Amino acid sequence: MNRRLFLGQSSALFGAALGMPGLARASLNKAQIVVVGGGYGGATAAKYLRLLSNNTANVTLIEPNAQFISCPMSNLVIGGSKTLADVTVSYDALQKKHGVKVVKDSVASFNAEKKTVQLASGQTLAYDKLVVSPGISLMLDSIEGLAQANQAGVTLQAWKAGDETVALHKQLASMKDGGVFAISIPLAPYRCPPGPYERACQVANYLKKNKPKSKVIVLDANPDVISKPGLFKKVWAEQYAGILEYRPQFNVTAVDAKTKTLKFDVQDDLKADVLNVLPAMRAGDLAVQGGIANANKRWVQVDFKTFESTAAKDVHVLGDSIQVAPLMPKSGHMANQHAKVAAAAIIAQLNGWEINPAPVLTNTCYSFVNDTQVVHVASVHQYDAAEKTFKTVAGSGGVSTGPTDLEGVYAWGWARNIWADSLG
Amino acid sequence: MKTINRQRFDFSTLGRSVARGATALAVVLAAAGAAHAQAQAQNPDALKLYQRGLAATCANCHGTDGQGVVGTGMPVINHLNSAEILKKMLDYKSGALTGTIMHQLAKGYTDEQLQTIASVLGKK
Repeated sequence: MNRRLFLGQSSALFGAALGMPGLARASLNKAQIVVVGGGYGGATAAKYLRLLSNNTANVTLIEPNAQFISCPMSNLVIGGSKTLADVTVSYDALQKKHGVKVVKDSVASFNAEKKTVQLASGQTLAYDKLVVSPGISLMLDSIEGLAQANQAGVTLQAWKAGDETVALHKQLASMKDGGVFAISIPLAPYRCPPGPYERACQVANYLKKNKPKSKVIVLDANPDVISKPGLFKKVWAEQYAGILEYRPQFNVTAVDAKTKTLKFDVQDDLKADVLNVLPAMRAGDLAVQGGIANANKRWVQVDFKTFESTAAKDVHVLGDSIQVAPLMPKSGHMANQHAKVAAAAIIAQLNGWEINPAPVLTNTCYSFVNDTQVVHVASVHQYDAAEKTFKTVAGSGGVSTGPTDLEGVYAWGWARNIWADSLG
Repeated sequence: MKTINRQRFDFSTLGRSVARGATALAVVLAAAGAAHAQAQAQNPDALKLYQRGLAATCANCHGTDGQGVVGTGMPVINHLNSAEILKKMLDYKSGALTGTIMHQLAKGYTDEQLQTIASVLGKK
């Protein structure tokens, strides 16, 4: 028995019987559903809330950016083989084709008691269901001097695709031949497990063609490559020997912007020409400031059948912000999958139906190791009712046998399809 | 509380209890079809929602409701009927068909889930 649903229904009935509409749960077609954040999670939630309700749900999406810029594929912009326009998608179809009300604004705060959202522009919106998909925030303070180095324009993250992505490519393009491009990786979990290693490949690929005396040095706080270790190391040995150097257990503790130097827990300082310093990450600011980041004050714990926050009723949280289930990556693909489970659960709750007892998620992450060759990791996650979490299915999932051009074609096919599935 | 009339329905076509050994296409179709009919009688709207939700796990690569983007190089499935989709998925799952990724993903679903997916996405 789903206790929450049972109680929800009973209070709705009592509310109706006693003439207290405030207690009643809003029915689907009267409910106001507000989605915060138009990334892979939020955009998909907005679209599928409309789609799965046969266009009866009232859905408002709040997103500050005029267009969607994809993090997946954006490492190719840093490497120079693609432009930002190649990874940018319009929000128009969500509004025009699917009837989502898209509001270009950001959310300053939400109040889970009053069920309201405060927009940066000053407007207050009431909601019956809130979907929060705020992505990650970078913990700049976890590395001494990083905030100042960012402000001085010395360090860049480019871990949210956009202007910084282009700026990091420019730093690479203007680096002298013989220079050092340093990428530092925080301890997992962080957004996009294979992302830093793919980026290292893209930088190495650029250097091999354009500045062969240069080096990319990967400084990983983790004891080993976090994703597809065998495949990445094979590529580094076969394609980037002498250009790409991988150093595990290098934990950056400080940055000196003046001398462009990184300091570590244990090892000697390292000077570099380009410093792509990725600090530890946590749930997006809205989740942290809203008091729902109840896992280690970094991530949001959710009920995995509904993606409802365990800290706030009727607040559903998607994507990179959540405290993940075992082996669940913080990826755009996964955020899209969270959104579909959450959308179905929200529709069920508003209709007074039992929640789907057995939701399923998949994940696929393609990584470009040069301009055309790609490797993947894939998994299937089934809900485990006894343990109330998602678990990967034994014997399923896996990685590529090696980098291929065929998977390079599929990777772009994946991108164009997931963009259409989330936004089109 | 006793007066609350909760809607109940059979989730068996979404469940994880695999019909072990029921690998022959006809057997799977017949078994799932019977469960499907039973479930339909109890709460068709909720069941349809969750079946569509399950099929949406494929949409990232093969398009919303199976309508993939044409011309990207990603295999498009919208010309296949339910039986053709199910056969392919069972073949990927058994290892009779190999691919770059589908044989890995197909192994993550129960036969009943694959039947549900095929019934939702198959060309009508």
